[in-house]
Amino acid sequence: MDATILNTLRDPAGVPFYPIVFQALYVLTWALHAAFVLLSLGAMGLSLYGSTKQKSDSNWKILTPHLIQTGKLSVSLLIVLGVAPLLFTQVIYDPNWYVTNTLSGLLVFAFIYILVLGYTMYYWYSYANKAGKSGNTLIGIVSFLLLVVAGVLMHNFAVESIQPTKWLEWYAPNGVVDTSGLNFHYDVIRLAFMVSLAVPVVGIFLQNYSDFLSTRKDFSESYIAFTKSLGTKLGMVGLVISAVLFAVWMLKEGLLLNPLVIATVLSVVVLLWMVSRSDKNSYMTTGVLVVVALLISAVREYIKYSLMSGIGYDVYSYPMNLEWPSIVMFLLTFVFLGFTGVGFIATMAWKVGKNEGLVYDCDKNPALRKLGFSTLWILMVWMAVYFAWGMFTLFKNTL
Amino acid sequence: MLGLFPVFYVPEFGSAWLMGITGTIHILASHTSVGAALLFAFLARKAYKEDRPEIYGYMKKYGMFLLIFSYVIGSITGPGIWYTATAASPRGISALIHNFVWVWATEWVFFVYEVVGVFALVYFIDKIDRKTHLRLTYTFALASVGTLALIIGIISFMMWPGTDAYYTTGSVSDAFFGTNTFPHMFLRIGFMIMLSGVIGMVISSALKRDNRELGMEMTRTMGIISTIGGFLVIFFFMWYMGTLPENAKVLLGKLLPGIIASRIILTLAFMLYFAVAIFKPRWISTTLASVMIAVILVAGIWPGEKLRESLRKPYVAGQYIYSNQIIGRDVPGKNIKSEVDRVAKNGLLKVHPFVPANLRTITPENKMQAGELLAKIACSNCHSLEKTGKYRPLTVMFQQTGKDAASIKAYMKDVIGTGAIPYMPKIALPDEEYDAIATWLAAQQ
Repeated sequence: MDATILNTLRDPAGVPFYPIVFQALYVLTWALHAAFVLLSLGAMGLSLYGSTKQKSDSNWKILTPHLIQTGKLSVSLLIVLGVAPLLFTQVIYDPNWYVTNTLSGLLVFAFIYILVLGYTMYYWYSYANKAGKSGNTLIGIVSFLLLVVAGVLMHNFAVESIQPTKWLEWYAPNGVVDTSGLNFHYDVIRLAFMVSLAVPVVGIFLQNYSDFLSTRKDFSESYIAFTKSLGTKLGMVGLVISAVLFAVWMLKEGLLLNPLVIATVLSVVVLLWMVSRSDKNSYMTTGVLVVVALLISAVREYIKYSLMSGIGYDVYSYPMNLEWPSIVMFLLTFVFLGFTGVGFIATMAWKVGKNEGLVYDCDKNPALRKLGFSTLWILMVWMAVYFAWGMFTLFKNTL
Repeated sequence: MLGLFPVFYVPEFGSAWLMGITGTIHILASHTSVGAALLFAFLARKAYKEDRPEIYGYMKKYGMFLLIFSYVIGSITGPGIWYTATAASPRGISALIHNFVWVWATEWVFFVYEVVGVFALVYFIDKIDRKTHLRLTYTFALASVGTLALIIGIISFMMWPGTDAYYTTGSVSDAFFGTNTFPHMFLRIGFMIMLSGVIGMVISSALKRDNRELGMEMTRTMGIISTIGGFLVIFFFMWYMGTLPENAKVLLGKLLPGIIASRIILTLAFMLYFAVAIFKPRWISTTLASVMIAVILVAGIWPGEKLRESLRKPYVAGQYIYSNQIIGRDVPGKNIKSEVDRVAKNGLLKVHPFVPANLRTITPENKMQAGELLAKIACSNCHSLEKTGKYRPLTVMFQQTGKDAASIKAYMKDVIGTGAIPYMPKIALPDEEYDAIATWLAAQQ
C-alpha cells in the first residue's frame, strides 16, 4: 500500500475536527482502557492463586473474593472505556482499522463471543467462589483463559493495523484472494510486555487497597500488613520484568534512545522507587502509574504515527469539515456530566467503602447531596436542550 | 482508485448476518437495560413513598440479573455490532463515524455514567440512605434514556436523513434529527418498557418461591407495564412507518403480505400473556416467562431487525453509501462525489485497491476467478453466492430470470445496471465484468 492508496481509503466526508485532538483523545482514553485491562488481568490471575490458598490461609480468605470483585468491575470498566479509543482511532486511522477488521473478520466476530463467554463465566466463578463450591478455581481458569484469548485477538488487530505494506499480501497470497477473515499475526515481545504490566498494576492496586482499609477497624493490622507487603513485592518484581521487556521491544523498534522512550523509562524508575517505599501512602504512586500509562500509550501512538507518516500517510493532513454543534455537545457533556456524575458515584463509593458495612447517609453529607442534585439537574437540562435542538432542526427543515 | 476495502465473506451466509445475530442479541439486552432503568425509577419511588422495603429486595434481584444480562452481554455486543458491521460494511460504518463521532463520544460519557451507576445502584441498595438511592435511580434512568437519545439519530440516519438538508449542509444536526428520528425513538422506548416488564416477570415468578405475595404483586405490575409498553409500540410503529423513505415503502409493499399474519399472531399472543400476568399472576412460571423472552428474541427482534435492514436497501447509511460500499450519490455539503460513473467507466477490478495484479485485467484464464471476486465485491453484502446459500442466494434468484450466462448478463446489464429496481444498488460495469460475473454465476447453478 502506498500513500496514494492509503489516502484514498480515508473517508470522503473528512474529519469533523482537528486531527490532533482525536490523536490526543486516543492516547488518553487508551491509557484509561489499558489500566483496567491490566487491573482485571492482574486481579483475576491473583484471585486464581488465592482460590487455591483461601481454605488454609485466613488472609487469602478475605483477599480472594475482593480480588474477584475487583476483576469483575474492571472488566466492565475496560469494556466501556475501550469504546472511546476504538472510536477515535477509526476517525484518523480509518484505513488501518477497517482493513484489519475485514482481513480478520471472522476473528473479530469470535472476539465478541469469546469475551461474552469469558465474562459470563467470570460471574459464575464469582458466585461459585462465594458459595464455596468445589471446582470454582477451574471455572475461574477457563474464564481467565477465554479473556486472555480475547486480549490476544485484540493484540492481533493492533499488530495487523500497523503493517500496511503487508495487507495486500495477506489478503491475496500469490494472487489468490482469501475472503475468510482468518488473518492472524502477532508480535511476541509487544504482547509479553503488555501482559507483564498486569503484575505491577495489581501490586500497586494492593498497596492502595491496604492504605484504604487501614482506617477501618474491621480489618486486622496483620491483614493490612500482608496486603501491603504482597503489593510491594508484586509491584517491584513486576516493574523490573516489564522494564526489561519494554527495553527489548524498543530495541527491536529502534527507539531505545527516543526522548519519549527515555521519559517512559525514567518514569518507571521513579515508579519503582515509589513502590519500594511501602511505609508511605501509596495513592501518589497511582498518580505516577497514570503518567506511565499515558507515556506507554503515547509510545504506541508514536510507533503507529511514525510508521504511517514514513509511508506518506499523515494524520494531520486529513481533510477537515469543521462541525461545531456536536463537539460543543460532547465537551459540555464530558465536563459537566462526566465530572459531576462520576464524581457523585465515586465519592459515594469511597464513603460507603469507609463505612464498615453500615448504611451511609449520603443526604447528610452536603458535598454528596450537592453532587447528586447537580447530576440530576444536568441530565434534565441536557434532555430539554436535546429536544429543543431536535425540534428546531426538524421544523427548520420541514416547514 | 476508490476507497474500497477487502471483502470478508462467510460461505453460505455472507457477512451481514454476523451483524444481524450480534445486533439481535444486543437489542434484547440493551433495550432491557434502558427499560429496566425506567422501571427502577418507578419501583424505587414506590418503595420510598410507600415505605415498602421488600420492593428493594425485588430490585436487587432484578439488578443482579441485569448486571449479567445487560451489562455483560449488552455492553459487549454493543461494540460487537460495531466490530461486525465494520467487517461487513466498512464504508457504511466509516460514514457514520465521520459524521457522528462527537455524538458517539457524548454517548460514551453517558455509558461511563451508566456502568458505574448500575454497580452503585445494585450493590449500594442497602448501603446508602433511600433518598439518595432514589436520586441515583432517577439519574440512572435519565442517563439510560440519554444513550438511546444519542444512538437513535445515528441509526435513523442509516435509514435516511429524512430531508435533503443534510446533503447540502453536511451538518450533523440535519443528519441526526431527521423525520423518523423521534418516531423511531418513542417506538423503541415503548419496546424497552415492554421488555422490562417481560424480563421482570422472570424475576417476579422466581420470587414467588420465597415471598408469594410480593411475587404475585410484582408479576401483576410487570403485566401492566408490559401492556403499556406494547400499546406504545403499536401506536408509534404506525407513526414510524409513515416516515420511511420511498424505496423502503416499495420494498415494504412486497414484504408486508408475507409478514402481516405472523405479526398479528405475535401481538395477540403477547396481549393474552400480559392479560394472564395481570389477572392470573400465579399462572406465570419462570419457565413460561423465560420462553416468552426467547419468543421475543426469535419471533420479534430477529425478523424485525432483518426487516429494518432490508428496508434500508439499496443503502447502508444516509442513502448515499450502497450496501456494496460504493458511494451512490453526491453529498455536496461534505464534498462527497458519487462513484457509480467511475465504476461504470473503469470497472471494479481497475478501481478497487485490493484486487491483486493478476486479476486487474480479465483474460480467458482468469475469467472465473475474476467473476467470483466481482460477485463477492458487488453482491455478497446482501446475497449468499452458493447454490445452497441461506441469505437471499443469488444463484437461486437467477433461476427465475434464466440460469445461463447470457440471461444473467442481460438481467444484470439491463435491470441492475440501470438502477431499475429501487431497492437494489445501480451496479453499472463494463461489458467484460458483467460477462465474468455471469459466467461464474452460471457455473454455480
